Amino acid sequence: MAAPAEKHVTVAAAPPGYTAVPVRLRARQRAPHYLYVKEHRVQCSADPARPPGRTLLVLNVPPYCPQECLSRLFSRCGAVQSVQVCEKPGPGESAEVLESKFFNLRRILGFRVAYVVFKNPSRVQAAISLSPHEPLLMSSESCPVKTGILKWISCYAASLVNPEELKAEVDTFMQAYDQKVAEEEAKAVEEEGVPDEEGWVKVTRKGRRPGLPRTEAANLRALEREKRKKARKELLNFYAWQHRETKREHIAQLRKKFEEDKQRIALMQAQRKFRPY
Amino acid sequence: MEAARRAGRGEQVVSNAGGVVEAVEEEENRDVSEKGRRQGRKRAPALDGVLQPVKLSRADLYKPPTNEELSQLKETENLFHSSLLRLQIEELLKEVRLKEKKKQRIDAFLHEINTLLSTVPETPEADITDQTWLPKHVRVPLLQVPFGVKGKFRFLPPAAVKVVGSYLLGTCIKPDINVDVAVMMPREIFQDKDHLNQRYHRKRALYLAHIAQHLSKKQLFGSIKFAYADSNHLKPVLLLRPQGKDEKLVTVRLYACPASGFFKPSRFHPSKNNVRLAWFLEQAAPGEGATELPTPHYNNSFLCDTVLESHLLFLSGVAADFPGMRDGVALLKVWLHQRELDKGLGGFSGFVASMLVAYLLTKHKISRMMSGYQVLRNVLQFLATTDLSVAGISLSKGADGSLPTLADFQQAFEVVFVDPSGLVNLCADMTASTYKQVQFEAKHSMDVLDDKTVDGFQLLLMTTKPLLRTFDHVFYLKPVSKLQGACKKMQLLNELMDRGGNYVATALPFMTSLLARGLGERVLLLTHSLPQTQEWPIDADPPKHKDIGHLSFGLLFAPEFAASVLERGPEADQPEAADFRQFWGEKSELRRFQDGAICEAVVWQASTLAQKRLIPEHIVRHLLQLHAGIPESSICYTGAVLESVIKTRREPAGTGEEAMVGVIRSYDDLSRKLWKLEGLLLTVTAVQGTHPALRYTDVFPPAPMKPDYAYHERNKEKDSLLPLADKPCPAYIPPMKVICHMEGSGQWPQDKEAIKRIKAAFHLQLAELLSQQHHFLCRPTASHTDVYKDGYVFRLQVAYHREPQILKEVVTPEGMLKYRDTEESQQLELETLHLPYLTSCLHGLQQQHPAFSGTCRLAKRWISAQMLSDGLSEECVDLLVASLFLHAAPFTPPSSPQVGFLRFLHLLTTFDWKNAPLIVNLNSELKDADYTEIKNEFVASRADLPVMFISTPRDQRSSVWTKERPSAQILQRLLVLAQASLRALEEQLLNPLGSQDVKVAFRPPLDFYDVLIHLNPKQIPRHLEGVDRPAKSFIRGMLKSDAPVKTLSFPVVDYDPVQCYLQELREAFDDFALFFYDKYGGVVIGVLWKPSSFEPQPFKVSNMKGRMMAARGNAPVTVPNVEAILEDFEVLGEGLVRAGLRLQIELLRLDEKHKRGPTLLVGMRSYSSGNP
Repeated sequence: MAAPAEKHVTVAAAPPGYTAVPVRLRARQRAPHYLYVKEHRVQCSADPARPPGRTLLVLNVPPYCPQECLSRLFSRCGAVQSVQVCEKPGPGESAEVLESKFFNLRRILGFRVAYVVFKNPSRVQAAISLSPHEPLLMSSESCPVKTGILKWISCYAASLVNPEELKAEVDTFMQAYDQKVAEEEAKAVEEEGVPDEEGWVKVTRKGRRPGLPRTEAANLRALEREKRKKARKELLNFYAWQHRETKREHIAQLRKKFEEDKQRIALMQAQRKFRPY
Repeated sequence: MEAARRAGRGEQVVSNAGGVVEAVEEEENRDVSEKGRRQGRKRAPALDGVLQPVKLSRADLYKPPTNEELSQLKETENLFHSSLLRLQIEELLKEVRLKEKKKQRIDAFLHEINTLLSTVPETPEADITDQTWLPKHVRVPLLQVPFGVKGKFRFLPPAAVKVVGSYLLGTCIKPDINVDVAVMMPREIFQDKDHLNQRYHRKRALYLAHIAQHLSKKQLFGSIKFAYADSNHLKPVLLLRPQGKDEKLVTVRLYACPASGFFKPSRFHPSKNNVRLAWFLEQAAPGEGATELPTPHYNNSFLCDTVLESHLLFLSGVAADFPGMRDGVALLKVWLHQRELDKGLGGFSGFVASMLVAYLLTKHKISRMMSGYQVLRNVLQFLATTDLSVAGISLSKGADGSLPTLADFQQAFEVVFVDPSGLVNLCADMTASTYKQVQFEAKHSMDVLDDKTVDGFQLLLMTTKPLLRTFDHVFYLKPVSKLQGACKKMQLLNELMDRGGNYVATALPFMTSLLARGLGERVLLLTHSLPQTQEWPIDADPPKHKDIGHLSFGLLFAPEFAASVLERGPEADQPEAADFRQFWGEKSELRRFQDGAICEAVVWQASTLAQKRLIPEHIVRHLLQLHAGIPESSICYTGAVLESVIKTRREPAGTGEEAMVGVIRSYDDLSRKLWKLEGLLLTVTAVQGTHPALRYTDVFPPAPMKPDYAYHERNKEKDSLLPLADKPCPAYIPPMKVICHMEGSGQWPQDKEAIKRIKAAFHLQLAELLSQQHHFLCRPTASHTDVYKDGYVFRLQVAYHREPQILKEVVTPEGMLKYRDTEESQQLELETLHLPYLTSCLHGLQQQHPAFSGTCRLAKRWISAQMLSDGLSEECVDLLVASLFLHAAPFTPPSSPQVGFLRFLHLLTTFDWKNAPLIVNLNSELKDADYTEIKNEFVASRADLPVMFISTPRDQRSSVWTKERPSAQILQRLLVLAQASLRALEEQLLNPLGSQDVKVAFRPPLDFYDVLIHLNPKQIPRHLEGVDRPAKSFIRGMLKSDAPVKTLSFPVVDYDPVQCYLQELREAFDDFALFFYDKYGGVVIGVLWKPSSFEPQPFKVSNMKGRMMAARGNAPVTVPNVEAILEDFEVLGEGLVRAGLRLQIELLRLDEKHKRGPTLLVGMRSYSSGNP
């Protein structure tokens, strides 16, 4: 556990390969958090957003530390090109979801990791050897970090939507969507009844002879129909063995119930459930 | 979501680790050998306490049955309801029956008593009033008032000593084994007029006192005490208990009774007088010409002594070759005991029950072939359908002219059940209202037995029905000595004499009939507790009448009439009008009614439902004061003492029912307007509100609000108000969600992203049209439209019925379209399908049971006060409370929030969540077969289901409302707290003289938490809703609702800084701690560390959140950065957390906590070291 002696040591312990950079929000706070930084190295790096050699991996970014603040913190080592904040380390999402101001808003919660990309490769080393005597401050006079009441009020203000903008966005999306659907339909019409290179013809719901829909529900329905048909044909209590069978079944049911009840009773006995008072 | 659930279950598994391992082994055993399998099955349930699905092999199931087995199965079908019931009853009887071994010890003890009794020495003859021969350390066990009687007494050894009563019949049951022994006083003791003026009673008391004195010298007994038989103060008995460890085993009760044949039975007809008024009043000479009125109770108690032995003979004749009787009577006794009906003066004792069985046998309603269960059923059936207080029954066969007729008895007693001799009324002391209670219970029990969906055995025989949890309102009379005055005021002198001066017993029937008349159809049942006296040592004076403590009364309401404000009497010119006026006193006044009639009427002032619920209290207090002279201060009425925690501050000062009606009215208007909205592309097909206020279960329903601009910043561009940081946080305005189902159409896109856009377009359009056509303030966003109407804010959300379906679509590689639940689709189904259904069901339930709202809100208030409201969903609580109303057995559905709340706590503590699903049959949609199916599936897949499983008609398998919450730990904590609260509350409510601070149950223990974060009330918008309401709070920027200001900007909606703070805390520190808060005005957040995260862990790139490196040996490990995290609490809550955090965050060290007692949370150890 955090032994009290440790917290005043200027160079804090860091896992091998990492450097610990103490940070705190304002000078008022006494106990710092530690950012753990190292150069970002991946064997097969194909991510253009994180160019090898220029990217710094930062672990343990406090929840109230915004992106801008990180770039300001590290700009003391050199010009920062971009900062990418993720929930956990790993390949960034290449297939970006549609960027939208109103829909599918995602927030990254809690402590995060960040990838800081410097303009100049040499700056990464500068950042790694960063060992300030005093913890770095996340909030400064020029750009204060809002927390608490101030932050919630500004969040509330930001949640108010301008209907015009929303409308415009919806309209553009729907136009694109309608276009896409229209194209697909046109393509489907084109392919209708035309055999592919091996000679197979695709049967769709649209053509002259629509096939069964290929859904699970339709399959189940078909099975059910079969079963009902069979059940209609069957004769009950016709043969002597059927009588016997039903009787046997009845006794088996009773037996099963009896066993269950016995188990239940045993359980209740164990819980002393039969003491009325 | 899934992960969280799994995690929750994981912890549960850990706590049961032993059991799980066993279960696995058992699986293996099953494969190994037949024998092993058998053992495994038998062992399993006892080990981990969870039911396992029964597996029988085909061979076992279908082997040919033996004759024995067949007959067993057949018997079960014929004689019992089901095999389970049969097994249950057998087990119960095993539990209460006396074991053979113990019987032998009792027999030996009885033998010794017998020999001792014959050696009691004689005494010389002396006047009855001369009691000097009795040593000082033995007191006469009788209240000798008035003291003076004529006659002489001397002790002679008993003529005979006989065991009578249930012991010989084998119907006595544990835990209080009593053996009744009749000691025959020889004829020589008695004189001619001993039947008069309690002379016989005095002699009997002296006789017992002498025996007691003699026996006390012997070393044989553990204790020798006196008691009143059936708490009747004229019937002292001597209690003897064996020495040593057998002391608790048995109590031998010595009854002294006269040798047969000395007293003529004809003297004791109910119409004869045997107590002279002059003697009773200690007047010298009888008043001339005064006729002496009959003394039926006195006579009856006398006769009881003479027939002890014949009753035994009669009963043993009945019980011979009738094994079902023994079982049946034992079951009946348990049934009566659970209803607190069997003990005390005028109770329905086990003896009466045996006699009743005998009666039914003679009437051929029971045959000797019947099982105990059938005997129970038939007796209940008989009780349910026969009113002994109207038409009595008799066991006497002879048509002897000398015997009194049933009519004679009926005139003298309230309840009549005549014994075989035709002389004694077995129910002499029973009041009509006690019998009515028995009858009511029997009727109710029959319904339960016939209901196949419930476990009748459990409900009828294993569930206690204490007064507090049974009756809607309960009140106490204390001190009972006030009844002395009542007797005088009601002119009951003769009755008082008849009862030997027992003013409690005298006044009771008159009081109950008075109240029954006054309450009329408001009550289904009015009962009183049975007066009980304690036993006392032989060197103490016998207890007085006032020593019964207090008398409690219970009222069970008819919900449709209980709260009516008007008592309409007869028309003014009718002769009954005078009677009505006399009955109600000055409360009665003349009123003209709408039909033109001018009637006497009583009107009670009550404007809110909360006040209306108190009308019965006013009636009780008024009538008792008026007719019985009992002052208000001696009546302690507990009906609505709990309601203060859900009272609203605003006018009218009710408990919020009226406020919710206002909300619903506004909502109904909105939904009508939505339907009729012109210009929408698709029409609205359904409007369904889902906010708790729309189903009457919101603890503090929204109030109409009008924002004051001075307290807000105004955003002109978006027509909205914003909170200001330096002003107090604006009052909380909850958005009430309303789901708008839009018509289906081919035009809807079949792609989830596109549907979202279309819905947003609808939100925009709705806002536009509503503000155009109805001039509402509207604020659209992508996911909803907020509408400000009548001071409320409604949040409209458009729904498309196929959307959940589309969200579920998955296309397999083969091109097959499958439907699989996803998180998103489930969430949407919850919001647009399940919640509207629940809301409409519960709205309906409230119309049937007006107490539902209050009960549910008390329950929620309590959960929140215990800071657990985030631990389980509101809907889950709604359903729990709904189950109290829909499945109330063995009680009746609550008609007052208080009793409902007590039962809620009781349900929490007693329900077996591990082994049973809670089935809430909303709208009675489930049938018998569904119940079995749900139960079977539950047992089969218990491990995969939530810890708390609630099944409803539209959600039989998955328990949607408890899926994520509560976790096993929260549930456990909830149960522990419920138990503690219930105990504390009942203690408070049962103590009529206590200060009755019932809020104790609503104040959570704070020493349980590791860290407390104190909040600044200025930023708590719901500060006024706290349990201990602050005297004053801040002005929250709201105008009075009738202020002549037109609101042009949208008020601040759904802005609660504390909730924002909690959300941020939970997001950031979910791994380290749990956060608890009372969302209704709590000023403290409780933090509990999770011990597992404080274990040092090896370094992992993905797991460095809020942790720091620490040297631990050689390997680098990580630990939480506690110091910094504590400061983060302050950073995140800047402006909300009270300034000077170091002082406000209290760190409670574990060693300190240990001193205060064990922590309550099972499976959650506190973080022990490393705190600064």
